[in-house]
Amino acid sequence: DNMQWKALGQPLATGPILQNQEKPFFENFAQRTGLPIDVDFKPVDTTGIKDTEQLRMLKAGLFDVVSLRVSPNSRDEPALLGLDLVGLNPDYATARKVADAYVPVLDKQLQKRFNTKLLTVWPFGPQILFCNAPIKSFSDIKGLKVRVYDQSLAKFVESMGATPVPISFPDVHQSLSMGVIDCAITGPASANSAGWPEVATHQLPLGMGIALNGYAVSLKAWNSLSEAQQAKMQAAFDKLSTDIWAYSESLYDDAISCNSGGECSTGNKFNLVNVEPTASDFELVNDALVNISLPGWAAICDASSDDCSANWKASVGPIIGLE
Amino acid sequence: MAVEYVITAFAAMLIMMIVGLPIAVAMAAVGIIGGVAVYGAPFMNSISPVIWGVQNNSLLTSIPLFVLLGELLLRAGIADGMYKSLSVWLGRLPGGLLHSNIGTCALFAATSGSSVATAATVGTVALPSLNERNYKMSKSLGSLAAGGALGILIPPSVNLIIYGSLTNTSIGQLFVGGVVPGILLTLLFMAFIAASSIFDKTDVKHETKASWAERWKSSVDLIPPLVIFLIVMGSIYSGLATATESAALGVVAALFFTALKKRCTWSILQACFIQTARVSGMILLIITAAFILNLTISLTGVAEAMSAWVTSLGLSTVGFLLALVVFYLILGMFMDVLSMQVATIPITYPMSQALGIDPVWFGIFVVMMCELGLITPPVGMNLFVVQGIRPDNGSISDVMKGAVPFVALMLVFTLALIAIPQIVTWLPNLMKPA
Amino acid sequence: MQNRIETLLATTFGVMFLGLSLFITVEVLLRKLFGISLDGSYELGGYALAIGSTLSFTLALFGRSHIRIDIIHERLPAIAKAVLNTLSAILLASFAALMGYLAWSVIADTLDYHAVSQTPWATPLIYPQSLWYAGQAIFMIAAIYLALKACWLLLKGRTSELNEMYQPKSIKQELEEELDSLKVRTATPNTTPQEHN
Ligand code: NA
Ligand code: NA
Repeated sequence: DNMQWKALGQPLATGPILQNQEKPFFENFAQRTGLPIDVDFKPVDTTGIKDTEQLRMLKAGLFDVVSLRVSPNSRDEPALLGLDLVGLNPDYATARKVADAYVPVLDKQLQKRFNTKLLTVWPFGPQILFCNAPIKSFSDIKGLKVRVYDQSLAKFVESMGATPVPISFPDVHQSLSMGVIDCAITGPASANSAGWPEVATHQLPLGMGIALNGYAVSLKAWNSLSEAQQAKMQAAFDKLSTDIWAYSESLYDDAISCNSGGECSTGNKFNLVNVEPTASDFELVNDALVNISLPGWAAICDASSDDCSANWKASVGPIIGLE
Repeated sequence: MAVEYVITAFAAMLIMMIVGLPIAVAMAAVGIIGGVAVYGAPFMNSISPVIWGVQNNSLLTSIPLFVLLGELLLRAGIADGMYKSLSVWLGRLPGGLLHSNIGTCALFAATSGSSVATAATVGTVALPSLNERNYKMSKSLGSLAAGGALGILIPPSVNLIIYGSLTNTSIGQLFVGGVVPGILLTLLFMAFIAASSIFDKTDVKHETKASWAERWKSSVDLIPPLVIFLIVMGSIYSGLATATESAALGVVAALFFTALKKRCTWSILQACFIQTARVSGMILLIITAAFILNLTISLTGVAEAMSAWVTSLGLSTVGFLLALVVFYLILGMFMDVLSMQVATIPITYPMSQALGIDPVWFGIFVVMMCELGLITPPVGMNLFVVQGIRPDNGSISDVMKGAVPFVALMLVFTLALIAIPQIVTWLPNLMKPA
Repeated sequence: MQNRIETLLATTFGVMFLGLSLFITVEVLLRKLFGISLDGSYELGGYALAIGSTLSFTLALFGRSHIRIDIIHERLPAIAKAVLNTLSAILLASFAALMGYLAWSVIADTLDYHAVSQTPWATPLIYPQSLWYAGQAIFMIAAIYLALKACWLLLKGRTSELNEMYQPKSIKQELEEELDSLKVRTATPNTTPQEHN
């Protein structure tokens, strides 16, 4: 008889990554992992549990595996946000390096505080800039009004000399067309399906963040496995994660291409000017990260646990050129 | 999860409810006992984040706000004036003042979350004059009970908010989905009244004609409910505001009209506050319990088991819906509609999804079934309410007799919704994507 | 005593939601007219509901508004009614106590994690949650008090008094209250005699 585990997944409306990667993995868990475990998989919203409560649910021990949403759960564990500070992950390659360096640190923290082991993390994809104004580089947002979706992004944009304007997602289309804002930030596939390219002219594929999520397993469940089984499980999740990283990037590339008149298999075709970010754009974003995002987050995180930002600097610092 | 366990647990819950234990406790008890039986102590630990999650859910903030909005209008005396003005407008139609019953209920329903308050308020104004003019008592009472039931279909509707929160369906879409069916059902009721008045020679035909000057002069009291309805629905439909924000806009507008009527006194506000709190507390405790029960239902796979069971019966979508109509009709005879709604949705909604039924459509369907429950004997809240305020000392069978045609009309209308789902889905589909 | 508590809780409840409505209205207008967002109604609305719902539980308890179906109840002999009424009070108190206990564990975790809301305001969650917990505690104390009182009345054999105080509010009663308030509201708002015509 197989063991019976319970898993809490991404919300139902999450889209292709849930439908084509996460769900099939958990529904064929025994086969994918080679372990005698069947998983009862529930998208988080079908249980009435809020996604801010995932860490507490893991600690309570009712669920064995959780598809952990980083941003909502940083309410209880600010260290999580260190994965995806604004400006830290401009592209997939950097994000992957950050993830590899920081997951062991987070894992240790989650084990200590939430009785939870972090197995791996993966991205939804870069949140990039769309403008209804001729921009040639990221620094051109200076003086423009840019729609933002949270406070750290607002501070970040402000430090670039732009005016941050918080507007809800459904209002962006109209606001862009009426000139209430000049630019807005979101993922290229979301922008495509909301029709932003109808009212914008340029897109700049430089990620303000990459929307990371992770898979975490309760220590109670993890410790019920033998060492060999643990290795098998880790390998299976590593494989899933690798698949999602690649899948996410292919979805992203396709959406970028759809928006800018290239080949297009999943969205509507538009004709935005695609502005390739320059080396100085990357530098600019990195500076803002070090001077704006990092100090803001470090204060909150260190209030929660003393060595939080020190651990981050030790692991992720070298990637962004911090000593 | 065997279907027998589910049915046993559901029956145990119904028995606890029917012998008169608090509804919320019956639901929470079944949820907790079921959850602990299957998962042990971890289940208990995991309820606490759920309780905070429900009570901190800003979608549900719209419930106390809409209740407060209705209370303010009620205590400002606006519903009372509406009746008089609609009588002047609609009295000429065959059926006379009975149309004002339906019309006032529909209009007031559109601002108030509660159908009991609607039936009570309108009934108190209407019944004396209906009695005086020799309208048939059973028809008068039936039209009031049925009109009051419109309150939970025509937005704003607390029942739609509850459905939305339990099923993650957009409350804005549900409200917009309730508009066309609400208007059509109102017109259907009025058509029936006109027809039955034409064929029934013993009944009062209509009122005398009012002059246009009289009509316009009396229409002042129609403005507040219309304005509030337009603010709430307009802001939702245009994407200006979420359902909760629209409720807040409505409260501020209602406060303004209350002040205009010079009724914004501390004692009236106090009365609104305490009544709003009692009604909200009753609803929110049941919702808290419902989320605990929902967690158990979702984790133990009850919904899947029941869906599989229904599928194994080989029912078509229409067959499933007709079976549900019968199920809700019977349940609604004995159960309070709010309890009926929260107790059944966690099970019937996943079944409906397994059959690919539109969630907004299904929400309107469930609320229609609740409306039926309000006016079916022996337990029909609205029947009791209008019986309680009638000026003569007749038996409750008059009310039931008067309500029967409206039950039939609602059933026919439900069949129409099943046959032409676009009645519900057309308007929400025109909305801006949110 | 109970009256004064009721007035205090109801006023807090009402003023809180009126205030919330004004705040949201200002926010919606600013957003629409000037494109400025205070970006707080979502968060504030959630906290208002959390605190308000616990207050309203207590008020519904005092007003006997927590629904009970009385279809069978009203046909039972007085002693059976009394037992059911006591049982209902005990069960309600148990549920209140359970919620109080569970709310405490929420607070304990929040303190432990220094949880901060993931919003522009970055509210330390302990502020709204302690008010929420206070409301939950009031509900718990009130429900336990009423349950103990019911038990005591039952043991003393004062069943009619008990039933008077605890039976589910019948529609008749609810209606009488509604009609009373209707009388008040249909009376002229200005009680001084009218001097002019
Ligand atoms: Na309504
Ligand atoms: Na009924």
